[in-house]
Amino acid sequence: MTAFRRRGSGGRIDRTTTIPFTYDGSRLFGHGGDTLASALLASGKTLVGRSFKYHRPRGFLSAGVEEPNGLFTLGEFGRTEPNMPGTLTEVHEGLIAKSQNAWPSPDFDVMAVNSLASPLFGAGFYYKTFMGPFKRSWMFYEPFIRKAAGLGRATEQTDTARYDVINGFCDVLVVGAGPAGLATALTASRSGLRVVLAELDFELGGSLLSGTNESLERWRKSAIEELSQQPNTRILARTVVQGLYDGNQALLHTRAVPGSVASRSESLRFKTIIHCSGAIERPLVFHNNDRPGVMLAGAVRTYLNRFALAPLKQAVVVTNNDSAYATAFDLAEADVAVTIAELRAAPSGDLLARAAQLGIAIFPNTGIADVVGTKQVQQVKLGGRHSVTIDCDVLAMSGGWSPNVHLTSHGGIKPRYDEKIAGFVPGEFAAAHFGAGSVLGEFGILAAVRGGEAAARASLEFIGHKKSVKAVEPPPIRDDRAYGISSVWGTASDAKKAFVDFQNDVTAKDVRSTHQEGYLSVEHMKRYTTLGMGTDQGKTSNINALAMMADLRGLSIQETGTTTFRPPYLPLTIGALAGRSVGHHFRPTRRSPMHDWHESHGATFIEAGLWMRAWYYDWAGPSPETAYVKEMQLVRKGVGIADVSTLGKIDVQGPGAAEFLNRVYVNGFAKLAVGKARYGVMLNDDGVVLDDGTTSHISENQFYLTTTTAQAGEVMSWLEYLLQCHWPDMKVHVTSLTDEWGGMAVSGPKSRETLQLAFPETDFSNEGLPYMGVKDITFDGATVRILRLSFSGELAYEVHCPANFAIALWEHILRAGEPLGIKPYGLEALASLRIEKGHVAGLELDHRNTLDDLGLGKMAAKEKPFIGKELRQRENLQAPERRSLVGLELMEPDKKLRGGSILFAATDEIKGHGRGYVTSVTWSTELQKFIALGLYQGGLEHEGEEIIAAFPLKNEQARLKLVSPHFIDKEGARLHA
Amino acid sequence: MLDARSAMASAKPFVSEALTLREAPDFTIQQLSWFTTADEKSLKQALGAMPLRVGSTAESDHGLLLRIGPRQLWCFGKLPEFYGDVLVTPLSSSRTRIEVAGAKSRDLLTHCAAIDFHENAFKPGHFVMTGIHHTPVTIHCIAENQFHLYALRTFGLSVWEWLVDASEGLTNA
Amino acid sequence: MRIPCPHCGEREVSEFRYGGDASRVRPQHGTGDLVAWHDYYFTYDNPKGPHTEHWQHVLGCRQWFTLRRDTATNEILGDAP
Repeated sequence: MTAFRRRGSGGRIDRTTTIPFTYDGSRLFGHGGDTLASALLASGKTLVGRSFKYHRPRGFLSAGVEEPNGLFTLGEFGRTEPNMPGTLTEVHEGLIAKSQNAWPSPDFDVMAVNSLASPLFGAGFYYKTFMGPFKRSWMFYEPFIRKAAGLGRATEQTDTARYDVINGFCDVLVVGAGPAGLATALTASRSGLRVVLAELDFELGGSLLSGTNESLERWRKSAIEELSQQPNTRILARTVVQGLYDGNQALLHTRAVPGSVASRSESLRFKTIIHCSGAIERPLVFHNNDRPGVMLAGAVRTYLNRFALAPLKQAVVVTNNDSAYATAFDLAEADVAVTIAELRAAPSGDLLARAAQLGIAIFPNTGIADVVGTKQVQQVKLGGRHSVTIDCDVLAMSGGWSPNVHLTSHGGIKPRYDEKIAGFVPGEFAAAHFGAGSVLGEFGILAAVRGGEAAARASLEFIGHKKSVKAVEPPPIRDDRAYGISSVWGTASDAKKAFVDFQNDVTAKDVRSTHQEGYLSVEHMKRYTTLGMGTDQGKTSNINALAMMADLRGLSIQETGTTTFRPPYLPLTIGALAGRSVGHHFRPTRRSPMHDWHESHGATFIEAGLWMRAWYYDWAGPSPETAYVKEMQLVRKGVGIADVSTLGKIDVQGPGAAEFLNRVYVNGFAKLAVGKARYGVMLNDDGVVLDDGTTSHISENQFYLTTTTAQAGEVMSWLEYLLQCHWPDMKVHVTSLTDEWGGMAVSGPKSRETLQLAFPETDFSNEGLPYMGVKDITFDGATVRILRLSFSGELAYEVHCPANFAIALWEHILRAGEPLGIKPYGLEALASLRIEKGHVAGLELDHRNTLDDLGLGKMAAKEKPFIGKELRQRENLQAPERRSLVGLELMEPDKKLRGGSILFAATDEIKGHGRGYVTSVTWSTELQKFIALGLYQGGLEHEGEEIIAAFPLKNEQARLKLVSPHFIDKEGARLHA
Repeated sequence: MLDARSAMASAKPFVSEALTLREAPDFTIQQLSWFTTADEKSLKQALGAMPLRVGSTAESDHGLLLRIGPRQLWCFGKLPEFYGDVLVTPLSSSRTRIEVAGAKSRDLLTHCAAIDFHENAFKPGHFVMTGIHHTPVTIHCIAENQFHLYALRTFGLSVWEWLVDASEGLTNA
Repeated sequence: MRIPCPHCGEREVSEFRYGGDASRVRPQHGTGDLVAWHDYYFTYDNPKGPHTEHWQHVLGCRQWFTLRRDTATNEILGDAP
């Protein structure tokens, strides 16, 4: 069925280009300048979707951003985008549009039977039916309901589009390029400051695009021409200002130009913002006001003048204000027979005269009683003072205009109800915010232009711009006319199917029953009825609902208030926010200086935080389970080399360095000799362990501090905090060397021999380099730092050097040790060796444990003060029932021991949080069984006891023996070998 | 001398008409730190120049100087003899240097960092310490449309991949 | 949100690390006074409104500084009164 015909001339479409597109599988055509909506209307598609709950036939209500009904799924495969308003979508070659919420088609929709059952689907239907006493039922029914109701569906395929996110800066951000926005941008642009003009349409002009006045068109064109030639002005069409955030930041999203796949989000910092975002027309509430062909009066005018679409023969206009007369007059001039149902007693006198001239019949004090026609308006029954039935193709309605106060409210500024215009206007602007035009409730074009210029001047003054700026020439038109709205919202609000919210199928009756059931606040009403939710977020429904609610409660609309406006203004695909941060680029990757070597020598990598670490090498086997065991054996019996460059490394320099370290470590560093290293533990202020590591004394005023891989950044910031915020008089500088230095552990009984071969001029004997000794040497032009320390419990060394030379040094050591069988070992073996030795690491240092919990209590200095010394004395940290570090051996060889298992005493019921948990597990090559570290109440008091490890996720239990955490070489003979 | 290896040995230069990215290796950074204004004065004398504000640079007899902190400098040349409490930390391996050049280089940077790169706001001789791809990066404007980016070495390749990904979008558009 | 670094100028909040209430006075190192440390560490206000805070420009110059911020509006206020 057809409501509109394309006119032979006029409009802003380019009749010389014919653009094919696909709609629900059939091939249709539009012209350049068409939206999907105008092209569908021109093709006779008045009915384009089914409603959310009742599956009622629906057509376009609007011609713009507020569209609640005409939503489509665009594209296919990974490029599928659901819920796109046809009124914003440009027709382009290759456009594939599908209607939504209708099967098999909007014309014949199986679910339309919902409409017959509509009494069941009233306000709060879901809550009452599925979430009542039997709460489980919602879980059961929800998937079915979601399938039957609802809007478009997202694709599960990978989106191939490109989403860029950029950072912008400007002096003046102008939101909207209607008459107010153009005048604002012109003035601001002439100052020479940096201006951004954002317009959500693909053409600039706003309401000017819907008119026919030639002098206005000339004014619009010359404004655009001037602006586009200003190098200081960026014009962003197709761009929605989605939200405003603290610190004068806006999120802008620019839709892809038709045919391209790149959309762009911009985080824009502005010095001032000028709101010229216009107003949105409101529907009227009457029975069957949702029938296809019932449209907003301004939209009918837009389709007529911008898209050259005239109703076939007859139109009825219903209004409570003067603005709809422009539509009526333009329709009459396009040879459409027009009848006006005037809700007020009379419009202004000059309108009556003009209507008479054009042969338009006006019925005063009259509204709409009913709309006849299911899939398309056929007749309109007037009600009120006059009861007449009129044949028509289109019913144009106007309930007045609502200023677009969405964005102006994002900073938490509540809109204010203005009786004069029967609508909400922005609350008092915060500093740096200005506005002009209909967003302020000033609906005339001249008012918009003058207001725009004034707002721009005020914003320039706010920025402190002193130079004079040339005035904007206003368009040569007559003075603005009055708006003349009367707060009459509808005639038949007791009707059954008088819709307030089209997208969510909320009727006037629903609003009334919500009130009757005691939901008084607008926020409750919203959630109970879903009014104002959905992809249009109530852009057309809010005021009507608030007016009804106010009326029912006997309050003013101001007292009733609005719901909260939050970003985004329009639905935004997640990709637009994620930008390029997807897949490989989701987060940065950190690579050791030896990464390339590992990659080309058979390493399998594992992510550890941001680091890519060599997990195991293929010389040891094809899978981690077997490879790490072989790599461990290599270290226990021969010699291995492992990359430890991920350790945090910090240069601590200055005359106060020793005293500084003495304060932050629990153990003493004041007397550490040059050439010596010491294992240290640091606490937070609260007495809980922060980190551990080895720190070496390099020269009088210089120390080389290492941290765990995980806490490197944390420790660095902590040291800087202490020095800069609290101890500014200490003469110490700290600098991260994590990136500057690479490190490798050379471990195993043959490590000394290996290094002796690698660095023949250095003395590696117990005298030359004793356990915990440090030596800086120069090797082949590079500084090499050799530390004798061990993470594995074997005789071992760490060799550090500037990262540029790390691969060369690594290869040198491998070559030197080749006769001794040296091979690389990875993270899995590294971590397993330390478990056998009973060294705590990240899994135990979880910011909850004290020194005593970790068996390190003896390290704490008795005499000297250190950070955390006071608060570690807190009673709870001393409590005997605290969990402390234990070793665990699996007693049942056929079972598996898992990290995270919950520990219970043998006699406990296996329930609840237990007495502790397993932190780290490994296969022990020495003991030939699974061993673990864990935390257990009472700790080593229970040494020798049999306990239970439970892993409820897999319903597993295993018997363990609680032992000392030092599984090998308790005396440290190997270390000191 | 041991062979020096870059963190970006596996990366090939990105070359297009309006945008070129490549590694600019072989540089020396010595970080100089001090404690008092007297130290700063004597350091200025020794170097023959001193950039005064954080974010400013100076050319000295001892190479380029970047003022990276209230009491810290990066020096890109050979150091003079010092007297007084000036601490030296060699950092030549700690950064990967990427050169971005071409008419679209400012455009590329706005895709990567929240800094105003307008030619009136970020001029040759200026540098900023900011974040790219969640990691700290120092961006030095060395000529109208030419920049040196100092990324942490261990993140160097990742930052490079992030820049190239953005560049591909810019040059294909 | 933008944070003014006293050394680098106004920057994106993502370049910074928040360091908590800066109005409390840290007890002298090694006072041994458990109560003083307890009060310093665990008892502090969580005001809605002006608040003096530690921030670090962690992706920039790495300097810590204090900042007055309105916790309700995120407005950056002048120096402490």
